[in-house]
Amino acid sequence: MRHILLTLVALTILSGSALGETINTTVNGMVCAFCATGIEKTFRKQPEVATVHVDLPKKTVTITTKSGRTLTDAKVKEIVTYSGYSMGKIIREK
Amino acid sequence: MKAAYLFTTFLLLPLAETQAKPLSYVGGTMVMQENDETGHTLTIDYTFDPHFALGVYSKYEINERDNFWMVGPTLNTLIKRWNLLDGQGNIFNMTGAGMARQGSRNEPAAWTTMMADYETRRVFASYEVRFMSARDIESSVWQRAYLGVAPYLANYDQLNTWTLVRLDHHPAKHDHFVVTPVLRFFYKTFWLEVGYSSNQHVMVNWTVQF
Repeated sequence: MRHILLTLVALTILSGSALGETINTTVNGMVCAFCATGIEKTFRKQPEVATVHVDLPKKTVTITTKSGRTLTDAKVKEIVTYSGYSMGKIIREK
Repeated sequence: MKAAYLFTTFLLLPLAETQAKPLSYVGGTMVMQENDETGHTLTIDYTFDPHFALGVYSKYEINERDNFWMVGPTLNTLIKRWNLLDGQGNIFNMTGAGMARQGSRNEPAAWTTMMADYETRRVFASYEVRFMSARDIESSVWQRAYLGVAPYLANYDQLNTWTLVRLDHHPAKHDHFVVTPVLRFFYKTFWLEVGYSSNQHVMVNWTVQF
């Protein structure tokens, strides 16, 4: 019984920390480290976002959402625009 | 006077949460400090909108007649941005008003700067023109241009290095034209610029974003 309870607790914790969707977008105008910082910080403020990774040479931002959460294309575009840049193409992975 | 400026500088620094560009991201605070042949500048600004930042500008200006100090609020405006596939172009305005103090004399002061820049991962160019009026203390026009290249391309979490040349034109100063070879370093939210001018002054500028 104790093992079953521990397994259930572990599964609950694991499912809670599992990541959701991976969204990769190119950002036009993102050419410097300060630009990248602004975009990264703005994405990190979103409650749906678990992780953010900026690749400056490729001019891409990769966002991983929290489990069961997502960011629509329109929302991603809004965040990139609000940060002062413009969004290129967007690719999603479940 | 210099002691008063330095005291103010260090008083304000702990309150700050910087200047590659006069705006950062919405909710971001920038602290910029410049030390060159024209004097010592401290700017703290807060970006409250993608196009606007509000801050405080303070400068201890080294002047041929007598040094002076000026301080006041400033509004930085992003007038236009071009986000390109491999580059970015901007037009900014920085305008402020406050007080200038020289010896025991106080005068109202106002300043406005127009700046344009273009940047890729490899090339940087900027030009700015600044008008300043503090009645009898100083009224001047000043121009500055930067041209630089990045010798290597680094990622966001690596040290980014730029080699640049800065050209200043100060008709009100003894040395009208000053050329400064500059090394600029970026690391995430930290920015440092060092140089040595043609009129033999060391330049050290730094910026931090919070």
